[in-house]
Amino acid sequence: MLTRDEVEVVLFTLEVAALATLLIFPLALGAALALARYRGPGKGALETILSLPLILPPTAVGLVLLEALSRRSALGGWLAARGIEIVFTWKAVVLAMAVMSFPLLVRSARTAFEEVDPRLVGLARTLGCGPAAAFFRVTLPLAWRGVLAGTVLAFARALGEFGATVMVAGNIPGRTRTLALAIFHDNQVGRDDRAAVLAGVTAALAFAALWTTELLARRLGRRREE
Amino acid sequence: MIEIRVDVPLAGTELRVEARLPAAVTAVMGPSGAGKTSLLEAIAGLRRRARGRIACGDAVFLDTERGVAVAPERRRVGYVPQDAGLFPHLTAHGNVRFGAREDEGRVETAIDTLDLRPLLPRHPASLSGGEKQRVALARALATAPRILLLDEPLAALDVELKERVLPYLVRIRDEWKVPMLYVTHNVGEALALAGDVLLLRDRRVESQGRPLDLLSSPGLSVEAEAGIENLLPGRVVGHDAMGGVSRVELAGGIPLSVPLAATRPVGARVMAAIRAEDVLVSSAPVKGLSARNVYEARLEALERTGVDVTLRCALPSAPSPWLARVTPAAVEALGLKAGQPVWLAVKSHSVRLI
Repeated sequence: MLTRDEVEVVLFTLEVAALATLLIFPLALGAALALARYRGPGKGALETILSLPLILPPTAVGLVLLEALSRRSALGGWLAARGIEIVFTWKAVVLAMAVMSFPLLVRSARTAFEEVDPRLVGLARTLGCGPAAAFFRVTLPLAWRGVLAGTVLAFARALGEFGATVMVAGNIPGRTRTLALAIFHDNQVGRDDRAAVLAGVTAALAFAALWTTELLARRLGRRREE
Repeated sequence: MIEIRVDVPLAGTELRVEARLPAAVTAVMGPSGAGKTSLLEAIAGLRRRARGRIACGDAVFLDTERGVAVAPERRRVGYVPQDAGLFPHLTAHGNVRFGAREDEGRVETAIDTLDLRPLLPRHPASLSGGEKQRVALARALATAPRILLLDEPLAALDVELKERVLPYLVRIRDEWKVPMLYVTHNVGEALALAGDVLLLRDRRVESQGRPLDLLSSPGLSVEAEAGIENLLPGRVVGHDAMGGVSRVELAGGIPLSVPLAATRPVGARVMAAIRAEDVLVSSAPVKGLSARNVYEARLEALERTGVDVTLRCALPSAPSPWLARVTPAAVEALGLKAGQPVWLAVKSHSVRLI
């Protein structure tokens, strides 16, 4: 059984991971759509920059975030002047998760958008849809499978985020400690059994998320063939 | 009146069309790559780099000089692409209603016009080609379009399906009175539907005019693709059910026997279509032949067309010459020369009524 503290860690992790996913959803979809439709100079560079968090060590990304948000930096100073604190709070956890998950959602969504026939979008326009309506009534419904898969992937990635989180949010019990951090901590202080339990919980959560999506996709997919 | 004066940049080249089309059905014809689809897309507003002026009646879609470029969603054009372009995630009903938000009455009328009731709950994946085309037509009609842009709506269908969808198009033309631009390779469809033909070639207008004048003049690019060289206007004068034939009188009083076409009432105006290779040529009077239609004519000219030879034959009272296609070997065997009399024979079953 989980202890009270452990239950809190699980709930906190689910909350921040969900928040991070929610936060990147519109931004990543916008970026994905732009990459799918844009044909021009600078596209390759933009793609690389957006994929950086996938290749860099998470601690390096965390370091960049930490520097950007420190009081010495322009952004950090501006935020501090307005009394907004991010570093070593739950907001930093959300931010770290969001940055690390972002490229995964962009990649999935972009592939899905690219597979939507642009002529169908054009047809929606001739049938009275503005660009936004055409996106919501044609592009998104046709790409939902890839978008959903990317969202779940991003969420699962956020659940397990460690390196960037520990850099920018620390490992503060009751404040910024997520499942991944708790596993590390338990192991460090010699409570390997608790670490194993938490690892099992993390695996179960990720598995459940992927499994329900798969089921959902299959059920909705079948309906369309009729 | 539809006014088009437009330049559309295409990969490495440019489509330039200048035409004034009456507010009825215009067939847009021409070889592949002539720019037919690009023209429709420019009118629909899907070619953002189009320059010039496009107006449909009072509605100006594009006027680059005055900085007018109306967004596609405000043009109210009913565009039906070649593959129907149905939304795969919606049922047939969802597709028909897609553009007509509140106007349920119009949706219902469109559904009835195209006999779609039984198809409504189905998704496009389970519809046949002809059914898809009908759904796409209804979807376009339901938006109360100012103009219908149809891109080879029948091209993907086999002959039988074609003959089932064509009447719906005639019905749309006669009952809804929406002007249409109708891209086709098929002379029969153009004659059946269109009052005008706009002929494109190499991304320019080659000619424009009445279908018959345009399509029966030899040497036109559409001829070869249409595969019907002889298009002869006439009217039905009688049916012989026992004999399995109908009698048609062609212009100039030439009698023609065709397979029984009881659905065409006596007096109906028809177009008889005969392929040039279906016209048999003899250098001597023919007797005892099973072909029902035998005519004496004068061989006016021989033209080499590819490996074959096309003979231009004048019937005494016919307004335009008949074309017959034979092999060079046949020309030699019969000793055919311009100016000599020939006898032409056509089996009833080689004649198609349009």
